[in-house]
Amino acid sequence: MIRKRLIVLFLAPASLIYGGLFLVPTLSTFYFSLFSWSGFGEQMTFIGLDNYTRLFNDTVFWLSLRNTLAILFVGGFFVFGLAFLYTVLLTSGIWGKKFFRLVFFLPNVVSVVALAGMWAYIYNPRSGLLNTTLSAVGLTDVAKTLWTSPDNIFWAMLAALVWVFTGFFLILLMAGVDKIPTDAYEAADLEGASLWQKFWFITVPMLWDVMAISFVIWMINAIKMFEFPYAFGFLQVPQQLYTLGIYLYIMGFGQRDPIYQLGYATAIGVVMLVITFVLIVVVRRLLRREQLEF
Amino acid sequence: MSDTVYQSPPPARRISRVPGWVRRLPAYFLVWMWTAFTLAAIAYVLLSAVKSKREVLRSGWNLPQEFIWSNFATAWNVGRLGDYFLNSVMVVGGSVFAILLVSTPAAYVLARAKFPGREAVTNLFVLGMGIPIPMLFIPIFGILSYLRMTDSLTGLSLVFIAISIPVTIYLLTGFFASLPSELESAAVLEGCNDFQVFWHVMLPMAMPGVLTALILNLIWLWNEYQLSLVILNSPDNRTLPLGLYSLQNAMQYTGDWPGMFAGVTIVIIPTIIAYALLSEKMIAGMTMGAVK
Repeated sequence: MIRKRLIVLFLAPASLIYGGLFLVPTLSTFYFSLFSWSGFGEQMTFIGLDNYTRLFNDTVFWLSLRNTLAILFVGGFFVFGLAFLYTVLLTSGIWGKKFFRLVFFLPNVVSVVALAGMWAYIYNPRSGLLNTTLSAVGLTDVAKTLWTSPDNIFWAMLAALVWVFTGFFLILLMAGVDKIPTDAYEAADLEGASLWQKFWFITVPMLWDVMAISFVIWMINAIKMFEFPYAFGFLQVPQQLYTLGIYLYIMGFGQRDPIYQLGYATAIGVVMLVITFVLIVVVRRLLRREQLEF
Repeated sequence: MSDTVYQSPPPARRISRVPGWVRRLPAYFLVWMWTAFTLAAIAYVLLSAVKSKREVLRSGWNLPQEFIWSNFATAWNVGRLGDYFLNSVMVVGGSVFAILLVSTPAAYVLARAKFPGREAVTNLFVLGMGIPIPMLFIPIFGILSYLRMTDSLTGLSLVFIAISIPVTIYLLTGFFASLPSELESAAVLEGCNDFQVFWHVMLPMAMPGVLTALILNLIWLWNEYQLSLVILNSPDNRTLPLGLYSLQNAMQYTGDWPGMFAGVTIVIIPTIIAYALLSEKMIAGMTMGAVK
């Protein structure tokens, strides 16, 4: 029997830190978003919902929102498409599965800043890995592409992002596949099922719960996306790379020139939170179904 | 037992005459494409790190005429990577220790004690995993400036502890909940009080989970960069990711790509070595919470 005193004693430190430096700040964002506030230590003026109406008419905000949603949906499509493809391939009995899994997951343990630097150079127009390799194999026209020009930079960043996150969801899905009893596949093999049939009729239904949680993790990560696009943009992040998180940061702290529109920035934070929670509820509704017993 | 004599032969499998490894060739091809790209990208970074500024722009995949090892010294000194490495060790080491110190007992109580509101408290902790971190930039900076802890490694550590609590408690609560209760009851019969049960019985059993949470937090906080960017300001206080970020900016500004790659190499090599040694544990940790 665990006594009350111990319960309080064990819960208090974590609750205090988490409450004070996580929950209270989160809740206070709603409050701050109702003010015009031009810097820490400056006077705050109550302006009601004006920050939100301003957001509604702010083209940079819409651009950031569009980029964030493009990461979520377009990026998500490729991340999960590739993660599923490689889950099937890596669990099809090929030799060296563990080594491949190690390589796929590698970007997830390396500093995002280092990865961004590496990718900036991959895309370097003259001496980067991509164009050097393309011209080496004879695709000289393609090799002239400026991958980080304003038109292309967002998609170039997204491709790199897909490379990072595919490995993450691959290991989640693979761990889920490892839990599927092997006799299901053996029975399918005896019936002469193809790889595709085994995937569609065994793997997908059995992986449902892992998939649901993976989608939620991806949504949370996509909407708060900050680090990779920010580091990818170097000193002056171009607007083509703005996500909601980056725009919030720029509005709150600025880049070379400080901006300090703290109330406005927190309103962006509130939008991020609302989108996250609405999407989580929607996805959980859509993917809910009876528990599969096996 | 059925009589096998009259049984018809098993149906011939469609593709049984093709050996397994041939059928898997397309799989090998696709997997190697991805793997080769990743390895090539890293190799290209390492190769570029030992070239001269001029050569890096034109020699592509060719080996350098002369290996410029001094690029590493330049990056190390200009980027002050030694100082930043120490900062990172202090912040991450201290935070991870504190995270486990506060989260393990809390998770234990949430998983094994019975009290009203237990589920609500657990959910409140887990809720934090869904809160977008950038939302915290401004209020956290406000609180830290009130505490006079902006631009301080102590302040950053406090924030690191706070943001790691949700996922750590989530993982450990699941782990504690999965432990059998026989030993617990036996210990109570032996006359252990509730703290002794935790300390001598449950905690040792939970050690694999605690270790996993430790590794997970280590990787995550070692690479953490957004809150560090918000909280830290002076060059003395930079953590390794921030130091690398400013080094990259400086080197890109001066067009010193080899210097930049020498910096990247110095930062990623220890991580890759640690990963090669601990990858099973790391991957297990990443999947522990999501795949039950």
